[in-house]
Amino acid sequence: MSDFSSLASLFSYQFFQFAILGGILAGSACAMTGVFIVLKKQSMLGDGLAHASFGGIALGLFLGLFPLLTALLVSILTVLAISYMRRQGIAPSDASIAVFLALGFATGLVLISLSGGFSVDLFSYLFGSILTINTTDLMMIVLLGLSIILFVLVFYKEIVVLCFDENFAKLSGIPVTAFNLVFDVLVAITIVISIKIVGVILVSALIVIPALSALQLDLSFRRTMIVSVAIAAVSVFTGIITSAVFGVATSGMIVFTAGAIFVIAAVYKKLE
Amino acid sequence: MKVEPVIEVENLEVKRGASTVVSEASFKIASGEYVGIVGPNGGGKTTLVEAVLGLLPKTKGTVKIFGRPIEDFDQWERIAYVPQHATNFDELFPLTVRELVAQGRIGRAKMGRKLRREDWEKVTEAMEFLEISHLAGKRIGKLSGGQKQRAFIARAIAREPEILVLDEPVAGVDPSVQEKFYKLLSDLNLKKGTTIISVSHDLSVVFCRMSRVICVNQRTYSCEVNEGTDPEKVLRQVYGEHFHFVFHRHECRGVFGNE
Repeated sequence: MSDFSSLASLFSYQFFQFAILGGILAGSACAMTGVFIVLKKQSMLGDGLAHASFGGIALGLFLGLFPLLTALLVSILTVLAISYMRRQGIAPSDASIAVFLALGFATGLVLISLSGGFSVDLFSYLFGSILTINTTDLMMIVLLGLSIILFVLVFYKEIVVLCFDENFAKLSGIPVTAFNLVFDVLVAITIVISIKIVGVILVSALIVIPALSALQLDLSFRRTMIVSVAIAAVSVFTGIITSAVFGVATSGMIVFTAGAIFVIAAVYKKLE
Repeated sequence: MKVEPVIEVENLEVKRGASTVVSEASFKIASGEYVGIVGPNGGGKTTLVEAVLGLLPKTKGTVKIFGRPIEDFDQWERIAYVPQHATNFDELFPLTVRELVAQGRIGRAKMGRKLRREDWEKVTEAMEFLEISHLAGKRIGKLSGGQKQRAFIARAIAREPEILVLDEPVAGVDPSVQEKFYKLLSDLNLKKGTTIISVSHDLSVVFCRMSRVICVNQRTYSCEVNEGTDPEKVLRQVYGEHFHFVFHRHECRGVFGNE
């Protein structure tokens, strides 16, 4: 991509529009849930679920099913299992996440070897392939992404109090166990719809980095959430454009942009 | 006129793991009472309070709040609780004082609905009552210990509860703030008729200010506080024979009427 006019012409292509729309929507869902995940000190949950969903993707490719659908099922089952182990006192969250991260990835590796090795399709899920988002992918991202955003907006005050003080939430009549379960499932969905954007390996970055950057700025909760979403959207947009300009991996550029914003926010906080 | 009990506890037993922390606890608290809960460390004060509020499972007995068994109780807008170590939160948590105090209204607002104008008016009133209006936009992680404490009390009273439960409400707060705080609780009790239950280590405060004391050392003992009460006799039951209570009468306010 050598000049501005050819860069601008990219916006007329459907694949590019899909990438921008899907990327910003999935990034916004990640950034919204990310604020709660970081504050609940469950930052590794995204990584664990992404790796577990790799098993689901491999299963889908192995069985000839839509890989994101099987990934979604595996991811939801995994988050429910992690939550069950935590509630029953079988293992703390971080240990359960580590177990399912390894098990999911191991399942993926076994299924891949059974089906004759890595394919281009599998690589696109591992490292992200935002520019290959098709209509089915986009519909899934739009439908699930908007559901997540809508849920967070509608139950915003309940989720904030649940995140801050679970006992106070119980004494406010909030069905804490049910809310935690629904929220965990939403995180699982968020991970899966973001896999096409940045890939299994980098998806947790899209959850954690925008939220952590916004938290550096000492804002109110509402503003932290808005800024987190804005950072994710800017990262996705800038990442897509810069990857087109320099001809490098889009997922890498998205995470690099988010990382750069985090460094600026952290330095700003230090100097303040 | 007979005052209906707002809390009835009958033969309550609570276990943590294999050990029994509270056993055979029975007491009633009437509307408008100002009750202190005292006892030695590890005696089960916090466990008792959390079991009464349904935050911990009980192994035996019954708890009724406003006449309804705690298992079926759903009128949470009538109760507020300020837990022990409420102020020990993650200081990175991006809540402003106003956002924290507004959480108090969640029990009164419908789930999934925004707070209404009248809810925000109550939030403003609670902040004014606690003299923290000037801190409304400040992050709670940046407040001093006393300011945090007042913000958490404001969250509780913003709910306009009929019962306010506080667990070690002034732990770590300097004495001048403690004095103002207890004055505030007395005001809530006397002016708004709020039933107050306060867990405390400060025995002189409890015996000076509160109308009844529930002593907990696994079992519970309840006594009225009036001119004829001998705190030492009561507390020896709980703390043991070697206990010696030094009573600074000049510090008293409230129930003895020497304010």
